[in-house]
Amino acid sequence: MHPATPAPADEPTQHNGSLPAAGWNRRHLLRMLAGTAIAVPAAGLLAACGGEEEPSVDPNAKHTVSFFWWGGEARAKLTEEALKLYMTKHPNITITPTWQAFTGYYDKLATISAGGNAPDIFQIDDNGLAEYAGRNVTLDLSKYTANKKIDVSKHPESLTKYGQLGGKQVAIATGENTPAIIFDKTKLAELGVEAPQVGWSYDQIITWGAGITTKSGGKYWGLMDPSSDYKALWLWLRAQGKEFYNGPKIAFSEADLVAWFQLWVDARAKNATPPADVCHEAVTGSVATQLVVTKKAAVSFMWSNQLSEMQKATKNDLGMTAYPGDPKGQWARASTYWAASRTTKAPDVVADIINFLVNDPEAGKILGVDRGLPNNLDVRKSVSDGLTDQKMKDTVAFENEITPKFGPAPAPPPKGHSGLRNTLRDIAETVSYGKQTPEAAAKQFFTEATAALA
Amino acid sequence: MALTTASRPALPVPAAAPPRTRGRRKNYAARRSEGLAGYVFLSPWLIGLMAITAFPMLLSLYLSFTNYDVLSSWEFVEWVGFDNYTKIFTLDPTFWQSVRVTLTFGLIAIPLKLAASLGVALLLNKERRGVGLFRGMFYLPSLLGGSVALALVWVAMFNREGAFNAGLSLFGIEGNNWINDPDWALSTLMVLTIWQFGAPMVIFLAGLKQVPTELYEAAQVDGASKRRQFFHITLPMLSPVIFFNLLLETINGFQGFTSAFVISNGTGGPLGATKLYTLHIYDKAFTDFQMGYASALAWIFLAAIGLITIIFFSTGKFWVHYSDGEN
Repeated sequence: MHPATPAPADEPTQHNGSLPAAGWNRRHLLRMLAGTAIAVPAAGLLAACGGEEEPSVDPNAKHTVSFFWWGGEARAKLTEEALKLYMTKHPNITITPTWQAFTGYYDKLATISAGGNAPDIFQIDDNGLAEYAGRNVTLDLSKYTANKKIDVSKHPESLTKYGQLGGKQVAIATGENTPAIIFDKTKLAELGVEAPQVGWSYDQIITWGAGITTKSGGKYWGLMDPSSDYKALWLWLRAQGKEFYNGPKIAFSEADLVAWFQLWVDARAKNATPPADVCHEAVTGSVATQLVVTKKAAVSFMWSNQLSEMQKATKNDLGMTAYPGDPKGQWARASTYWAASRTTKAPDVVADIINFLVNDPEAGKILGVDRGLPNNLDVRKSVSDGLTDQKMKDTVAFENEITPKFGPAPAPPPKGHSGLRNTLRDIAETVSYGKQTPEAAAKQFFTEATAALA
Repeated sequence: MALTTASRPALPVPAAAPPRTRGRRKNYAARRSEGLAGYVFLSPWLIGLMAITAFPMLLSLYLSFTNYDVLSSWEFVEWVGFDNYTKIFTLDPTFWQSVRVTLTFGLIAIPLKLAASLGVALLLNKERRGVGLFRGMFYLPSLLGGSVALALVWVAMFNREGAFNAGLSLFGIEGNNWINDPDWALSTLMVLTIWQFGAPMVIFLAGLKQVPTELYEAAQVDGASKRRQFFHITLPMLSPVIFFNLLLETINGFQGFTSAFVISNGTGGPLGATKLYTLHIYDKAFTDFQMGYASALAWIFLAAIGLITIIFFSTGKFWVHYSDGEN
């Protein structure tokens, strides 16, 4: 996965200011590829020669643990503070944190992993989990969840399960998160339109969106067109009792996809969504370019923990509710996970740090709801009670409202998912730009998806 | 392309013949040790070439015949023969799309960039008051190079609410969403590339200064028009420089990546309109984790650029005029 793909569940800051460094980095990587030097595989070759040693178990032995995540400044501050607390409690452990904006994160993770230097602990989301776990980069944490070194007894079971692949606990969720539509309350009030509600059908919200476009005189639209967004499609399928993936295969039919594309072709015809070129600006999912932020549409299809971040990008007051359709399509989604490298020299320490981050009340207090609602329900309660940011409070209220309506959690997306969601994005856009019929596009998607997941 | 322009080799100026001193008289051993010393001095570069360029290149050639996926450990790398190559040519519509985009980009942007740089160089070749300032100003965009910041500025300028459309609206024209329109996105990218003509311009300027003034004087005496002077003196005398610029700009142009990546947010969109070949390689390697496949793409690319270079060199003798014999 890379920044071209929609931002992940919890991506809080994808402001443009973070781009330059990443761009250079990427460009260097490319130069390596483009015929001058593929240094990365070379490092892989060398790394492959190193053997794995059984780690020592002395509890007072000195260890240095590398730690890597993506996010903005605010998250970095919180995370570093929590890690500092751990080091104060365990003076023999040194944690070396590295972080960067989401843009370029996965490129860097891939290259350093290929070099055999995967960070001991790293943040990952469900789009990348199977890619890494499936290729044996991650440490199997089952042992630690079984012996309670990582205590998941207070975590919602669905959230724990969402970190399991092939019967192994490959990662521990950092928090719970749910897709949510974020809307512009100020603008709705201006136009005299009611706010969207949980449980609205797609037809309802499209009619509602068309009304906004009409009332605004046509230069401001009702909804972002989410037809190219895999998570919107996924929830739409699940609301009808269907699924996106079945193991490593696509679980929905070509007819389903035609219906999905057609839904948004009709929405565009009714003027509920803007023309394709306007939607294209927001298609990567980054907060800064969302149509609600750029004041081009009243509704963006986002994640619940992005509300606070998005609010910072606009003066208008924002609100949040569930995606349209039956809320049973939602599930307790891990916003991100903590995963560990299989090659870590200190797996016990790594497990202990992860346990600290997800279960320790003090750590929980520091981290807040930055990576979604804390997994540990006790921590979640105390953290929620202590919140001061109104939008973070709204996020908690929303999660609490929707949690009882959740359906069962699916398995995390399989290997090949990060490429596939780009395929969906590009093909969906051929429909929105009017270059292909829904039927032809769906057919093309299945041809390419079958090849990609094979 | 700040990086490439910065590292661009100096114009091949005919160096004065090295003074021939006692070299020939020296005995074999001395000459041998001199040769050895030469290699010792070369060694940092040689080692760099081997370790950073040659070895990884050969490795990528090997990888292009495997299913290497970046993340799996080395023992899972399997030899797949020509599978990657056959897949590229038979099962990869994006490959053909990216070839089409890259060729369109190259065939239009590179000649226009050269024409622009030569044209401006001719204007700035005249000694006028403040000509240095103008040279500096025309060179400025190239200093910014293929930077991310510049690409972001481009996005801000050429989207629907951008400065460009604001300018058009003064004339009552409603502009397009240039960046996000599949029919126009590549053109905005080309304009960005062409605008950065500073580097070839400076080289053209240097070349123009080398053209002996006697030739023009003689032509003037013979009554040749300006136009004739340009086609019969300037162009032939400049042809080695044109050749040099053409070669470099072609190689650089085809390898362009940053602007397309940033402007399209890494998507190569809208609708693959800016899916340059390099973006496709990147996607395959780091999004789909098909490094073996990406290596195969990279080698096809290398072969293609190599072929173009060979064609340039072999046709060069028909139009590149080297004025040797003088001095």
